[in-house]
Amino acid sequence: MFSRKLLLMLTSFLLVFAFSFSAYAENVIKLGCAISFTGSKSRTGKLYVDSYKFAVDKVNEMGGVNVNGKNYKFELVFYDDKSDPTESARLVEKLITVDKVDFLLGPYSSGITIPSSIVARRYRIPMIEGGGASSKIFDKGNKYIFGTLPRAGDYFRSTLEFLTKQDPRPEKIAILYADDKFDVSVGEGAKAIAEEMGFEVVEFEKYSEGASDFTSAITKAKKAGAEATLVAGHTEEAINFIQQSKELNYSPNLLALTVGPSEADFRKALGKDANYIYGVASWSAEMNFEGTLFEDTQAFVKQFTDKFGYDPDYHNASGVADVAIYKDAVERANSLDPQKVRDAVAATSGLKTIYGPVDFMDNGQIIGSSVVLQILDGKVRQVYPASGYDAVYPMPEWDKR
Amino acid sequence: MLTQILINGILKGGLYALMAMGMSLIWGVMNIINIAHGSFIMLGAYTTYWFFTLYGMDPFVSILLSMVLIFFLGFFIQKYIINFVIGASLFITLLLAFGIEILINNLALLFWTADVKSVQVTYGGANTEILGAVIPTVRLLAFLLAIAVSVILFIIMNKTWLGRAIRSTAQDLEAARLNGVNVGNIYSITFGIGTAVAAAAGTLWAVIFPISPTMGGHLTLKSFVVTIIGGLGTMMGPLVGGLSLGIVESLGTNWFGSTFENLISFTILVLVLIFKPNGILGKKE
Repeated sequence: MFSRKLLLMLTSFLLVFAFSFSAYAENVIKLGCAISFTGSKSRTGKLYVDSYKFAVDKVNEMGGVNVNGKNYKFELVFYDDKSDPTESARLVEKLITVDKVDFLLGPYSSGITIPSSIVARRYRIPMIEGGGASSKIFDKGNKYIFGTLPRAGDYFRSTLEFLTKQDPRPEKIAILYADDKFDVSVGEGAKAIAEEMGFEVVEFEKYSEGASDFTSAITKAKKAGAEATLVAGHTEEAINFIQQSKELNYSPNLLALTVGPSEADFRKALGKDANYIYGVASWSAEMNFEGTLFEDTQAFVKQFTDKFGYDPDYHNASGVADVAIYKDAVERANSLDPQKVRDAVAATSGLKTIYGPVDFMDNGQIIGSSVVLQILDGKVRQVYPASGYDAVYPMPEWDKR
Repeated sequence: MLTQILINGILKGGLYALMAMGMSLIWGVMNIINIAHGSFIMLGAYTTYWFFTLYGMDPFVSILLSMVLIFFLGFFIQKYIINFVIGASLFITLLLAFGIEILINNLALLFWTADVKSVQVTYGGANTEILGAVIPTVRLLAFLLAIAVSVILFIIMNKTWLGRAIRSTAQDLEAARLNGVNVGNIYSITFGIGTAVAAAAGTLWAVIFPISPTMGGHLTLKSFVVTIIGGLGTMMGPLVGGLSLGIVESLGTNWFGSTFENLISFTILVLVLIFKPNGILGKKE
């Protein structure tokens, strides 16, 4: 296990170099991508790297992209942005000016996507990204950025909708969110939606990204009698939050987290304490959509798991969709001209992908929705909208799990 | 509610104190601000994680093993690397420590990946309720152990020949040499003790929080703040600094919100530097 991981890592580094130095070949469409191979975002960054590669291989296997009767292969050019937004912007510039890539794939996380999307606009090269959902990426009038994660502000809409359907319907809700760009959008959006739906938001608190201590926040939520707690943060914070809720014996009817539940190391780190925790995602492996690259979602999940040895989550599906959108758009544009391809991407209409049908809003963000997940018996299940698994609500007390 | 907040703060403060103790010791004796301190805490945490995952060893047992292992690591790093810059300007030592930090963190990232890991002890979520306040068992154990390690360190420093040698080296290098203290050795041993205590803090950290190779940076910062607040050159400094920081942070995040945790720590730091430049317990120069 250990040496396999090491090997994978070395391979990815080698690939970085291999791709960086490969000579320009005929009939190739270069997709450039600066993404986090190292640093704090590398864990999730890797999911996108895997997906981009997986989808590109699939496109090439299927004969590539047809432009003007000629077949083109996709070629990926990767750089490591070291999880640093400034570095990312610099590398995207390098991809455009030195490597002369045709189009761009996005990095992971909203904070890194913002500066690199601005570089894309400056050079008028379209960028499709699957890893940033903050409204701050899309409200700048940037015509060259397209995102396949749904609006951050809507993330918890499905969860809140789910709550209105419970009997008795909970009244008091606590919302906690990290102070990075994405989670601020999620938190503020959730508060607006909750109030619109008639919930009382008894605690609305921002914490610093990477915080490890939630005891004050949990104590407050407990004291305020919050029946449901929504947390918008990152994996490590999510694990901390659950552990400390248990330590302080805080057991609301529903505990929902944005990032965490759908990730394997969250479940591994928490063991049985992860059970019954709610999550939210723009996609789940239980869904079934027909796709252009893969027959359907289930076929994709199977092939992906066979190849990479882990279950794909919404990050992976979103990344695969990005590549599918390029193939579709380039073929419709019937040209490699960045401007024409950009227009074709914007005009994408109901494109079938294993991630769901793709349409973009005017600001470049996908028109999508999120589903409610719950960990049942160590597995992530979609519980709302109904998919055959019944939600356990309210969550059992900690000592009854 | 207030009792709960205070208890949260005190329990956290104990851990802060232990974290800072190693940094304070190395700083006080060798005048090196060990930027890599957090990385040693991280190594201690991972040692515990691996003992727990591979051999099922309880963290409260393996703490001794990780302390011994990291002691030798620290000892040799001092002897063969840091020794070259002893007595050099502060900037040079900072730079070297910074380099060591980058090296350790990236090796950890390479070998252990950036995946978040956690030590799941069976008594992980247990707690007792006293006067309406919940006391998490692991945190209480970690707190008690932190105090115990501090006391042991205190006894070593004050009652043994080694402790006196370390202190005399810190106070007057020439006089220590004249009295037959092998200063080079003392430096290596001190650095080893400093990192061993960091490893102990790492072990306790791993029991309470999830761990990852990049966890160290944040902890270096906290240790630094605690060291300054408590005051250099006294064994009680980190304890006082840690507990004060823990309590104030707990109260502060309760009143002003969690996003201000770092703002609160650094405000205290600035206030202490203005009103008591040598720390709460620091001696006058």
